[in-house]
Amino acid sequence: MLFDVLIRLRSLFRRKQVEHELDDELRFHFDKHVAKLVAHGTPHNEALRQSRLAFGTPDSIKEEHRDARGTQLVETLAQDVRYALRVLAKSPGFTAVAILTLALGIGANTAIFSVVNSILLRPLPYPDAARIVTTDGNESMPDLDDIRAQAESFDAVGSRSMQRLDYTGGREPMEVFVIAGDAGMYQVLGARPELGRMIGAQDDTFGAAPVVVLSHAFWMSQFGGDPGAVGKQINLSGNLYTIVGVMVPDFWLPQHHADAYSTLRIVYPIEAKERGVHVLTAFMHLKPGVILDQAQAEMSAIDASLAKAHPDHDAGVHRKLVPLLDSIVGDTRAVVLIFFGAVGLVLLIACVNFANLLLARAASRQREIAIRSALGASSSRLVAQMLTESVLLSLAGGTAGVALAYVGLRGLLALAPRDLPRLSTIAIDGRVLVFTVGLSLFTGVLFGLLPAWSATRSSAGDTLKEVGRTIAGSLASLRLRRLLVVSETALALVPLVGAGLLIRSFVGLASVPPGFRPDKILTMSLSLPASHYKDLPEQVRFRTQLLDSLNAMPSVQAAMISELPLGGDQIDHEAAIEGRPIIPGKNPSVQTRTVLGDYFDIMGILLLQGRTFSADDRTDSPEVVVVNQAFVRKLFPTQNPIGARLGWALENPIKWKTIVGVVGDVKHFGLDQPDAAAAYGLYTQSDEDWKRWMTLTIRSPRDPSSLARDVEQRIWAIDSALPPTDILSMNAVVSETLSPHRFNLILLGIFSIVALLLAAVGIYGVIAYSVTQRTHEIGVRVAVGAQPRDIIELVLGESGRLVAVGTLIGLAGAFALTRFMSSMLFGVTAHDPLTFAAVAALLAGVALLASYVPARRALRVDPMIALRHE
Amino acid sequence: MTASAIDLPQGTLDLLILRTLALGPEHGWAISERIHQVSSKVLQVHQGSLYPALHRLERRGWISSKWGTSDNNRRAKYYELTKTGRKQLETEKSEWKKLAAAVAQVLETA
Repeated sequence: MLFDVLIRLRSLFRRKQVEHELDDELRFHFDKHVAKLVAHGTPHNEALRQSRLAFGTPDSIKEEHRDARGTQLVETLAQDVRYALRVLAKSPGFTAVAILTLALGIGANTAIFSVVNSILLRPLPYPDAARIVTTDGNESMPDLDDIRAQAESFDAVGSRSMQRLDYTGGREPMEVFVIAGDAGMYQVLGARPELGRMIGAQDDTFGAAPVVVLSHAFWMSQFGGDPGAVGKQINLSGNLYTIVGVMVPDFWLPQHHADAYSTLRIVYPIEAKERGVHVLTAFMHLKPGVILDQAQAEMSAIDASLAKAHPDHDAGVHRKLVPLLDSIVGDTRAVVLIFFGAVGLVLLIACVNFANLLLARAASRQREIAIRSALGASSSRLVAQMLTESVLLSLAGGTAGVALAYVGLRGLLALAPRDLPRLSTIAIDGRVLVFTVGLSLFTGVLFGLLPAWSATRSSAGDTLKEVGRTIAGSLASLRLRRLLVVSETALALVPLVGAGLLIRSFVGLASVPPGFRPDKILTMSLSLPASHYKDLPEQVRFRTQLLDSLNAMPSVQAAMISELPLGGDQIDHEAAIEGRPIIPGKNPSVQTRTVLGDYFDIMGILLLQGRTFSADDRTDSPEVVVVNQAFVRKLFPTQNPIGARLGWALENPIKWKTIVGVVGDVKHFGLDQPDAAAAYGLYTQSDEDWKRWMTLTIRSPRDPSSLARDVEQRIWAIDSALPPTDILSMNAVVSETLSPHRFNLILLGIFSIVALLLAAVGIYGVIAYSVTQRTHEIGVRVAVGAQPRDIIELVLGESGRLVAVGTLIGLAGAFALTRFMSSMLFGVTAHDPLTFAAVAALLAGVALLASYVPARRALRVDPMIALRHE
Repeated sequence: MTASAIDLPQGTLDLLILRTLALGPEHGWAISERIHQVSSKVLQVHQGSLYPALHRLERRGWISSKWGTSDNNRRAKYYELTKTGRKQLETEKSEWKKLAAAVAQVLETA
């Protein structure tokens, strides 16, 4: 058996040598034969002649040898491939169109599959990642400690939060992102040091010496990759941390870029003790054998016991355990799958076009096929030959598609919203290539089989006798091609309707009034380090000093807010209204936003009732708040809120603040989301010394970049160690929130335009072919008096009927499918009649245009020539 | 191309080649000559069937080949019986004898 394989392989790969040896062997035999005849007295010439007669033609002998060598199948294939390459090279136009068509379809699918693969399929880069779960909310350190102590389902529980700290060891003060977790997180996620050691349990205690592990990138940029960095100390927001290690370069945390790693008990010891501070994302590792449902049941029981033990904080809390991958991917799954569906349709259209091209080509090659079959080629042999051609084309299309996908993916990633989960991991990898090769082969075989089969079906005799020129065989194939037009129209309609709905959503979303005027406003964020600004008076002094300095600039108005609208941050409190009962866990939640300066005026937020803050509202005057409409709707639906007093339910004693005004709602969470009930307070009256961050809102007609430089100078004149971050115009902030929608729109838009173009090309091809086939008929019609109008109607009528049927089927398909994209829509239903009608009209228009061109050609048919041709 | 030559029944050529090679390594021409001689010039193996058969036997591992030098100093490919080939020869020989006896019996009695 082994011999067999070895010899076959040798025959295959060392073909030349094997053939050569065979030649030698046969020649030796021949010479011996001649020599024997001569020895028996035959003259030399006669001996040669007799020997040749006895031997037969050398080629037929060799053919038999090849059979004996057992490489027939592969050699036939190689022969088919060589023949196919020759045939394809002879018609470069056809070959190029076929490859391009498939490249578009396969390329789009490869690009989107690589997104699907990276976001949905590839496991997270953690040991035993499938058994890591998280909770659906933010957690506090004390709650997690209780869960760790009580739960039997997990063998490790960890958590992390992201904190921005100031680093002043570099050239300019900069903000660094520090992962403040606990020792359990590093264990669950399998974090390993490249250098030094990891954060361990001994570091994760209150009062432990502050230690930090640097990210690889931060170590390279700030320490030039110096191993001596380990053991050094760095200053983060005024505290000294000892560097104990450097993280491996490929350690990755969902959603967050990280410069350094520490623990919450080190970075924020006060907050870490608070059961009410929910800033942590939990990571639990399920024990072997424990399934999610079991863990969830236990979790619910723990929730109930925590609610009993800490009603202030844990009443009404129901944690839902979610596999980590699901929680990271979230809603993106549906969006990605919708794109995958859309490119699937694009591929189908490309394949239909491909089959169409092959059909047309098979028709024009009928004589060649007939001759080959007359010469003895079996029909399976002919099908194999044609399949070889289509598979070669599809593989070439796939190769071009991968190149297209590579380029397309770069564009796509440049456009992608930055919060797209696992964005950085998107790439064309081995699995994607396997997918593409599989797709190409599948396409080549499936869509090549139909034309091959239909081509070999017609009888050789008929074709050679030229009977089949017009009638029987081509009628069946014409019917097939009409079916293709119908299906292309239907297939193209679905992504077009999807794109139409997204356009309407986007236009609707972009024209939503945000509740403020974003023009000519520059924003920039600052955070005061706890080391220098621990107490409120220092913070207030910095804030007023900064605003005074900025407002002294000509044509500049500056204010600040703790949580900028559409900026992605929010803080809420359980509210209490003076005179109403306070029920733990049932109190209404109210967003709190802290401002200083003429914030409402600068942002153009409408004052609806009462007043906004004035210079008389000072640290030593009674505390006042301004609320929004949503607050009034939620808490004062029938009463006048002005003069009522608001407090925070968890304060003891509650410090009441008087409501002095009502302002309009702003789009705080997103243009597609309503504002929540919110109360604005003053930084000068706040007792929240932990709220050390702020975003400046500066209205000025000046050029934003030179303005930003001046503002920075004025900040550094007060404190040279503060790094301003997120320097953006307010318009850019708004635009950023549209970026996922823009991304969806552009992507689906591109796919549907490709679908439309491919369908138009396909329709054009079929109608043009049908006009050619009917040249004779058209000639007769013209000869008996048909007008140009009649001919145009004849051609357009044919395609019109096909397109109408396709459109109807497509509309039904779109009606069934668009509901899956409801979550991507805004202000328009998934079955919006206007969109459906407009898209159907567009498609019909393009389809008619595609058939108008061949119709014009039909007009030029000269009846004399057409008739004489018979 | 002797007039009295007969065509070999299917499968017997393999047996004859194996039997011939049992005497020692030979090249293709010598094999065909030997069969011709030993069969008293009744059996003539054309090289058109000889070489495919040799290559088939080689693929099955019953014979092996190597290039050597013939008596008049020319390069020739020599075939040699392998161990499995020798076993195969025994099996085929006994089967052939059984067949021949059976055929003879039928011819005699029927």
